[in-house]
Amino acid sequence: MTAGPAAPTAGASTEPQVSAARTADAVKVYGRGDASVRALDGITVSFARGQFTAIMGPSGSGKSTLLHCVAGLDRLTSGEVYIGDVELGGLGDRQLTLLRRVKVGFIFQSFNLVPTLSAEDNIVLPLTIAGRKPNPEALAEVVRITGLGDRLRHRPSELSGGQQQRVAAARALASQPEIIFADEPTGNLDSRSSNELLDFLSRAVLTMGQTIVMVTHDPLAAAHADRIIFLADGRVVDEMGAPTADRVLNVMRHLGD
Amino acid sequence: MLKISLRSLLSHKLRLALTTLAVILGVSFVAGTFILTDTINATFTSIFSAANAGVAVTVHGHQLAGQESSIGGSSNQPVPTSLLTTVRSVPGVKNAVGSIFRNGATLIGGDGKPIGGNGPPSFGANWIADPEISPYRLRSGTAPRQPGDVVVDAGTAAKHNLAVGQSIPIVFAGGAEEHFTITGIAGFGNSDNLAGATITLFTEATAERVLEGKDKYDSILVSAQPGVTDITLRDRIAAAAPSYEAATGQAAAAAAEQSTEATISTFIGTPLLVFAFISLFVGSFLIINTFNILVAQRTRELALLRALGATRAQVMRSVLVEAGVTGFIASILGFGAGILIASGLISLFGSTSTGGLTLLPRTFIIAVLVGTVVTVLAATLPARRATRIAPVAALAEAQPETQELPRRRVIAGSVILALGCAGLVAGLFAGTGSTLQLVGVGFLGVFLGVALLAPLLVRPIATVLGWPVRRLRGAPGLLAGENARRNPRRTALTASALMIGLALVTCVAVLTDSVRTSTNNAIAGAFRADFIVFNQGPSFNTEAADTLRRDPKLTDITEVRTTRVLIKGTSQDIAAIDPSNLNSVLALTMLGGDAPAIASSNTAIVDSSSATSSNLHVGDVVTFVFPEGATVPIHVGGIYKTNALVTGYLVSLATMQPNVPTARDNLVLANAAPGITQPQAEAALNHDVSAYPLLLAKSRDQYRAFVGASLDSFLNLITTLLAFAIIIAVLGIANTLALSVLERTRELGLLRALGMTRAQTRTMVRWESVIISLIGAVLGLVVGTGLGVVVTSALHDLGIDTISIPGGNLILYAVAAGVFGVLAAIIPTIRAARVDILRAITTE
Repeated sequence: MTAGPAAPTAGASTEPQVSAARTADAVKVYGRGDASVRALDGITVSFARGQFTAIMGPSGSGKSTLLHCVAGLDRLTSGEVYIGDVELGGLGDRQLTLLRRVKVGFIFQSFNLVPTLSAEDNIVLPLTIAGRKPNPEALAEVVRITGLGDRLRHRPSELSGGQQQRVAAARALASQPEIIFADEPTGNLDSRSSNELLDFLSRAVLTMGQTIVMVTHDPLAAAHADRIIFLADGRVVDEMGAPTADRVLNVMRHLGD
Repeated sequence: MLKISLRSLLSHKLRLALTTLAVILGVSFVAGTFILTDTINATFTSIFSAANAGVAVTVHGHQLAGQESSIGGSSNQPVPTSLLTTVRSVPGVKNAVGSIFRNGATLIGGDGKPIGGNGPPSFGANWIADPEISPYRLRSGTAPRQPGDVVVDAGTAAKHNLAVGQSIPIVFAGGAEEHFTITGIAGFGNSDNLAGATITLFTEATAERVLEGKDKYDSILVSAQPGVTDITLRDRIAAAAPSYEAATGQAAAAAAEQSTEATISTFIGTPLLVFAFISLFVGSFLIINTFNILVAQRTRELALLRALGATRAQVMRSVLVEAGVTGFIASILGFGAGILIASGLISLFGSTSTGGLTLLPRTFIIAVLVGTVVTVLAATLPARRATRIAPVAALAEAQPETQELPRRRVIAGSVILALGCAGLVAGLFAGTGSTLQLVGVGFLGVFLGVALLAPLLVRPIATVLGWPVRRLRGAPGLLAGENARRNPRRTALTASALMIGLALVTCVAVLTDSVRTSTNNAIAGAFRADFIVFNQGPSFNTEAADTLRRDPKLTDITEVRTTRVLIKGTSQDIAAIDPSNLNSVLALTMLGGDAPAIASSNTAIVDSSSATSSNLHVGDVVTFVFPEGATVPIHVGGIYKTNALVTGYLVSLATMQPNVPTARDNLVLANAAPGITQPQAEAALNHDVSAYPLLLAKSRDQYRAFVGASLDSFLNLITTLLAFAIIIAVLGIANTLALSVLERTRELGLLRALGMTRAQTRTMVRWESVIISLIGAVLGLVVGTGLGVVVTSALHDLGIDTISIPGGNLILYAVAAGVFGVLAAIIPTIRAARVDILRAITTE
């Protein structure tokens, strides 16, 4: 059962890894027959280590599906998806769960936190679930850069939306995963809170070498990324390095129709 | 709005499934009780009317003083056989026969044990030949002709494989075995037997001898000549035999029915209904919880309705209609389940003679009314909460789940709890006469009060209980504890339902353990005799005592006889004993006067609790009215401290014997003869008593264990009857968890995404369930112990002077509660583990 998550270390020594996660000809079909929808139509992408990648595309382009499949929350119809060099298709529910626990961090659009637990307990939750002790220095660092020091004892209902998302981000970082997936993390935030959160994510990439993949439809948010992948109708249609909001908006306008 | 209620009902049908089940269980208990008692009554009615079918008039003596009616047996004085001639000579009488019909003829089975054990009575009677009058119908064989012939009832014959021609031992009044030959099998009217009781039929001469009815009949049964009405004949007979009572056959049947119905209602109907009520009471907690959760989950929908112009009344009605329809459907199903329960119980009682179950429209109406009304009443609180949802809630974010307990509720809970305690204390200690009612109300108040205040206790208890779980189970354990605490009202209500059942069991356990400890002490101090011989059934004849007296290894053979007499209009047990052995077999502590006083004629000593309640002092004179009517002034010669073996008035055999018809022993006490060791004496005693299959011989220690065992079976009976309430409470836990799991779908999805395995998810839900159960157990054990102590201390005057808390039982109940928690979680854990992560975390 530990074979899955342990494998990449062995693989990394023989063949140097540049990608934290990648897909090869990923296809995801929902439904059957005439009613079937190809949400992912043969996507091959790679998410480089230490990079902040944004995935953009109009509604129904398959961006969330791609994220869910790469994160091990959903399964491909065909093709391959790797985290490190572990192919997820061959893993059972339990192995996938254990892999998520160790290798993957999540930030969702909303309902990121367990309402009964304090901010601190939420941050260390993946570690607690795994039965691991948090590394105190790493935790202190995460708390410091998220600026949550005086909020650690509060319950989620006592925090603002922005604070809640920062707790979620801190949680994703605290276990120092291989890769963090963020699904519209700023979707419910005002612009100031959005900026705070995105700055914080960028800093994590820069200072901690964290890998982040973020799905968003907000060009301003996407502009914080190192690289943007554009999807439409389940295919990769464009890519952009060093994006700015204006350039992103431009591409999106074309994709819209 | 009705449409909305019904739609809501349909969409919630799964969520309401367990609520429905709870109502079904409660209603089935109510309906089952009514069907059971109605069926038993109907059986007796058919038996009595069969018995009296051809009987125009019955003649018997006056009612015995101080005797409560008993099922089937006679509570009237017998009539002399000479009366038969008088009755036969009354014009219009076609035939008259004497009937002897008495309890106390026990068939002994092939295994040497009495048939029927200590269950239904075993009647002996004389065969009545006249087919018009006789209720007995030969099914096979012939009527008894020889002294050694017996006809047995068809029900017993079928159940125990008895056949014509077989020889069978019979014991009369606890005596030695006598062998008879079965010459025939008979039915009682159309029934196989008397509602499960055995009947043995002898020739008249044999019946007179074995049933100790020399020259006496219990009644005379008369048939009328054509054209003479029963009433005319009754009046003529009454005129001819003025010192006896004559009743028409119909009136006799009706009177017998009435007294039987009263007895059944007292001993079966009412106690079962009390437990049915407890089940429904517990069920109402589940209903409240379900509708509370449904209302909370529908907050936005209801607010939207309000925003669209629905009035508060309409919202309230929509919830109540949903409850009403649920309750109605559940009640109908509950009635069906009640039929199953009743038929199960009836076949358990072994009565094979009935013509099916008696289903009265009244039972159906009560079942449906009770189920529907309880459901609607319980849903009223949640419905009121629904009306308080502001239209703006449709737009607002969901409310945080934890609310402060309103002060009003704390005050109401405290007041109800205080009133409950007051009722309990008043009922138990004030001696107002309505003890049972006050104690019932007191229990109700205590349970309601604790349930209302329980939300305050949930957090601290859950914190304490959650600590080891967190230690043992890590994150799932931590979350289990937090989940149990997150909605204190919901947890409190769920746990309170279990509390009620456990508190009642605990209360009875404390009571029986205290009684056991007290009687253990008291038995040790109550008598000095080495051995005690007794019968679990009716009193027994003096053969056994005579046999023991002839045994050289035994001495101080002392019979204790009891009878009921009327004293100042109420019937009381009195005991009689040979005063010469008093001090060698009994250990009476005299508080006034002295024990040997009873050696003087018409002198009694009285136990202290009777003396206190009747305000008696040494030197007073009370009047005993003996069953057959003798009125005897009795001098109070002393007062003894309440004793575990004899209670009430104690007189000498010489005082009692002239006033009762036959000498019957209730206890025989004996000592080892000088120079004989205990084991030798015990062996001799056992050998002597083995000739009397119904009698039990015990040493002091064995007797103590025997009394303890009967207390255990009492506790087991109560626990069994409370099983319904406890099952409903466990359903309640399952229900709360299932609804919580539904409510927390997104949270579960999040946890799964963050790496919680299915097994961990199941662990989390399971431990939440266990913690809720254990909160119920903590509350139940504490409240139950408190109630047990209070109830027990009220029995101090009856000699229950040691309060003992059965630690082993309490631990057992707590462990059982934990197991209930695991069981209740089975389905919710499956659901929780199945949560679809993607669906849970993707916002619409």
